[in-house]
Amino acid sequence: MGKFIVIGERLSATASSVNRAFAEMDPEPILERASAQLKAGAVCLDVNIGPAEDNGPEIMKWVVRLLQDNFDNVPLSLDTSNKAAIEAGISVYNRSRGKPIVNSADAAGRLDYMDLAAANDAICIALCNGDGIARDNDERMGYCQTLLEHGLELGMSEDDIWFDPMFLVIKGMQDKVKEMLECIHMFSEMGLHSTGGLSNSSNGMPKAIRPVMDSSMIAMAMMQGLTSAIVNPNNTRLMETIKSCDIILGNTLYADSYLEL
Amino acid sequence: MPFISKSGKSASRICEVTVGTGDRAVTAGGESSLPFYTFDGKTPNRPRTGIEITDGGVADQPAVVQKYYDGCVSAADMARKASSFEGVDFICLALTGADPNGKNRPADELMETVRAVADATDLPLAVSGCDNAQIDAGLLRKAAQVLKGRNALMLSAREENYESVKKTAAPEFGQNIGAESADDINLAKQLNILLLQAEVPENKIIMQPGTAACGYGFEYVISTIDRIRLAALQQSDKTLQMPVITPVAQEAWSVREAAATQDEMPEWGSQEERGIDMEVETAAAVLAAGSDAVILKHPESVRTIAAMTAALTQGGQ
Repeated sequence: MGKFIVIGERLSATASSVNRAFAEMDPEPILERASAQLKAGAVCLDVNIGPAEDNGPEIMKWVVRLLQDNFDNVPLSLDTSNKAAIEAGISVYNRSRGKPIVNSADAAGRLDYMDLAAANDAICIALCNGDGIARDNDERMGYCQTLLEHGLELGMSEDDIWFDPMFLVIKGMQDKVKEMLECIHMFSEMGLHSTGGLSNSSNGMPKAIRPVMDSSMIAMAMMQGLTSAIVNPNNTRLMETIKSCDIILGNTLYADSYLEL
Repeated sequence: MPFISKSGKSASRICEVTVGTGDRAVTAGGESSLPFYTFDGKTPNRPRTGIEITDGGVADQPAVVQKYYDGCVSAADMARKASSFEGVDFICLALTGADPNGKNRPADELMETVRAVADATDLPLAVSGCDNAQIDAGLLRKAAQVLKGRNALMLSAREENYESVKKTAAPEFGQNIGAESADDINLAKQLNILLLQAEVPENKIIMQPGTAACGYGFEYVISTIDRIRLAALQQSDKTLQMPVITPVAQEAWSVREAAATQDEMPEWGSQEERGIDMEVETAAAVLAAGSDAVILKHPESVRTIAAMTAALTQGGQ
């Protein structure tokens, strides 16, 4: 198994400063956050421009070019409900360091994001939800099958579909978390890649607690076979945990300076 | 369920390190597949074969090697002669005479030898010490000065002396550095990280992760090289994507199978044949595990290994 893939989450329109930078096409805040994430060990950046209903394609093209020009064609995950914006982003995307990632399809209303990924030879994040959040693993694995079969019918390689079990908010849904972890194990048993928005796990918890909870969650999820996650790479405790888990799982070779890499 | 064969193709490749200058410069590394798997990826450079001479000249060599250096006395004489042997890509000058428990030759005297050897050949040069980390650090730094402009290979930086030896790669000297560890893959990686953090460029580092003669703890050598190559290519570990060099000569010729003369062991047959066999078998095995260069002593071993690697890499330059 290869090294765990860290996708940086900090270029998200949910942060007001980033939202403003996207809207005004102001490069500085975007470059600053991108640089901080890459320095901390992100290998890919998620670009969430929000719904961007008016000028999504224009914004996505601009930000893809901005990031790839400044950071050696860094791989990007294009994250918006505006399909035209994802296609526009892919049209200017440089693949020298990897395919673009479409974030994301699900097994109901967003199944056609898989078509978009297939038509553009992109990786697709496949969220195992239907019209609502899956109730249990029977339902989750049903959606997984739907998404997998759909992608394969479209000619995609299994390696290009990354399954997202949906990291549930732990607080308030404690009874569902263990089952979600077991779902990652099932993906892994099937030889499938997996990913997800890890930070959702600690949503609603005090700021000081979130890194502790996220780190514990990533360690348990990696043990189940999680191959990637969309995380805050500037969370030092989390990154140290990921690097240590990569060593324990044999994904990377130990050296005394492993935390500095 | 249909059988799906797994591809051995890798998205990563080993760095290319060039030693020497001008037409005779040689490049090691550059491959994107496991050793000799030319069907899985490119092997732009065949593994390199170096020949070892020592500062003591012909007198240091086993009698069965001396006859190939007819008319030679000094290391410089040997370097001149060895440059014409078939399959020799580079010359390694081992400054074994610096050993304080041996000849204990002073550094300045040894640097005269380095200079004379450099003047005698335009082949790429490697310089190794006397297996004493502290003395070697001083020797290599002096040799880096003498060989300025030759883009030579300094063997080697170790955990104990890398802080000093790394300076030989500084732009004012511009030499390449071997990073030496002894069958310790974690230390091998750590040394590379330390050199990279000291801003030694990745294309100036060659790993020397351990050596032994066949049958003498040799499986550790093989598994170390093997794991380095797997991590470099399959885990895309950038800190291990440097070419590997294995000095074979001193180990192979120091074990009884090669060192015992025919008078001592008549039932074992020709010493020369035994020595060549030991050297060729050891070299072939480390190359099959992933080594990108070997250093040998006997001209016939060099010729044999160069022919083997050329045939197995088909078209590698």
